[in-house]
Amino acid sequence: MTHEIKENMKTNLTYEQRRNFLLIVFLIGVVLIAIVAQATTLVRLTFPELVKNSSAIAHVRCLGSQAVFENGEIWTDTSLEVLESNKGNLPAIVVVRQPGGKLAHLESRVDGTPQFRVGEELYLFLEGQPGGRFFLVGWSQGTFRVRRNPRTGLTTVTQDSAEIPAYDQQSREFTKTGVKDMRLDSFREQLRREMLRQVP
Amino acid sequence: MRTRQKQILAAMRGTLCVLASAATVQGYAFNMIVPDVRQPLAISGGSACPVKAHHPTTPGYLAFRWSTSLGTAPTSILTQDQTPTGRLNEIEQIIQQSLAAWTNVGGTALNPSWLAPLARVATQNACGSDGMNSICFDQPDMGFTPGVLAFTRVIVADRIGIQVGAGPAATELGQILDADIYFNPSDIFVTFATPQVLAANPKSYDLESLLTHELGHALGFSHSNVWSAMMFPFAPTPGTFAGLRPTMQQPDAPLSDDDRTGLRVLYHDPNDSTYIGSIQGRIVPANPLSLPAAPLGVTGIFLSHVVAVDSTTGAVVAGSLGGWSCQAPGPAQFDGSYEIDGLAIGRSYKIYAEPLNGAAGPATVTNAYLSLCRNSTTDPGWPPLQGCVVPSPDLEFTVRTLP
Repeated sequence: MTHEIKENMKTNLTYEQRRNFLLIVFLIGVVLIAIVAQATTLVRLTFPELVKNSSAIAHVRCLGSQAVFENGEIWTDTSLEVLESNKGNLPAIVVVRQPGGKLAHLESRVDGTPQFRVGEELYLFLEGQPGGRFFLVGWSQGTFRVRRNPRTGLTTVTQDSAEIPAYDQQSREFTKTGVKDMRLDSFREQLRREMLRQVP
Repeated sequence: MRTRQKQILAAMRGTLCVLASAATVQGYAFNMIVPDVRQPLAISGGSACPVKAHHPTTPGYLAFRWSTSLGTAPTSILTQDQTPTGRLNEIEQIIQQSLAAWTNVGGTALNPSWLAPLARVATQNACGSDGMNSICFDQPDMGFTPGVLAFTRVIVADRIGIQVGAGPAATELGQILDADIYFNPSDIFVTFATPQVLAANPKSYDLESLLTHELGHALGFSHSNVWSAMMFPFAPTPGTFAGLRPTMQQPDAPLSDDDRTGLRVLYHDPNDSTYIGSIQGRIVPANPLSLPAAPLGVTGIFLSHVVAVDSTTGAVVAGSLGGWSCQAPGPAQFDGSYEIDGLAIGRSYKIYAEPLNGAAGPATVTNAYLSLCRNSTTDPGWPPLQGCVVPSPDLEFTVRTLP
């Protein structure tokens, strides 16, 4: 049985059409949530919490990864060139360690760990000490990918966990508060403001 | 995809629908591994087609042990019984129930006889690459950062004969050699409660829900994006639990149909005659020029999500990540193919496709799709004809039915 689905990748909706569509999808989503009665939140870190929990924040470019065996486990160390250090004192190249990796004939898998491609640019929220290795705060939550749209030339930032809805127990509402397709300059401004706000 | 004859049943009408709510409903995925075809045929199978990570289904094969070392500063596991023995018994009961949820699904090769007796170990750091499947509540790990409640390390070999620690050597391609579950022991803001005390501790996470989810990883599952699925990547809010509580009559109550269908696909029961339905097809663009120029050879939409809905009940039965197929000797072809197996026969299903940009995106299933290919860049000496490059997920297509 073969279904061929026609798709139209070049549909350009107006802002108003997009807004209305998103509103409808959101409302349907709220109804669905109520039906399944399944609250869906991780240990959700808000943007201010991410900033607060990070000892370093940087705009980086992925140089490459390698797996290592240490403390009886396989880890993946990713080397990243620091393009701009936004928080903390970082060297020119920082190493971010994540659990899992491929070593010889063994592959250790840990679901939920972000994967990086060589040459990819990101903003990473890190925990660690200068001179040592760093770790991603909240894994996907502390990973913001920088993308340039070749058609529009626009550079945007999207958090790996952008689509995760957060449940606010006080308001009893679900909201998506992640960063998705935010203009790079807007993201930098948001980061700058939050860091200023947290200055003691 | 498997090369066996697909059973397409007349009763199973694949009707393509585009539902407004589709963006929030997606389904199971598995961890995959490409065998090392540079090795002799007898230990590599000779094919670069990805295989699913899994355990052999030999009775008594799967053994779990858990560390009775429990953190005290902070106390991360909350129980009703505060006596030392009673506390351990209460936790062990939850582990047993969580395992039972997965071994009591009809139509799978997994049944309670597949499990070896649950063992206890007093060692704090029982989790490690030792060939033993372990559950640890008090083992610090560098992987824990703020926002991470628990995770599972699953070790798979890319050829037969590999051994981890004292565990048995792999006798099957894709065999899981070690699976360890870690609960965050050191975050003072995070506690896990047994069902008995969850209501009294509304800021705690439900131990049973998290453990059942992590055991899914230990069995070979990646993440699902179905809201009600146990393999949905995000824990229920503190004080709540996922699905239903297990009962004597229905030990698998915590699971959703998506979890059950995934399990039937992963651990197919050769004697089952009910869940043998399969729907397959391709998702292709109307305009081939919209396909990515690189890597070469992409002829269909990659990483679409195709979901089967029971036409009668409207329930989401299963989903699968589409976009590729493979026939020995490989490699994977990115031709837009999808396949949903493990469906009950005698029922009608509606099928819809959607981009993987719903409640969780490609980031939650990276292990499931980035491991579809190997090539001479990632593996020096890899035969070029059996190498491939995984394309970027296509998240922007829109769908409509054929007239």
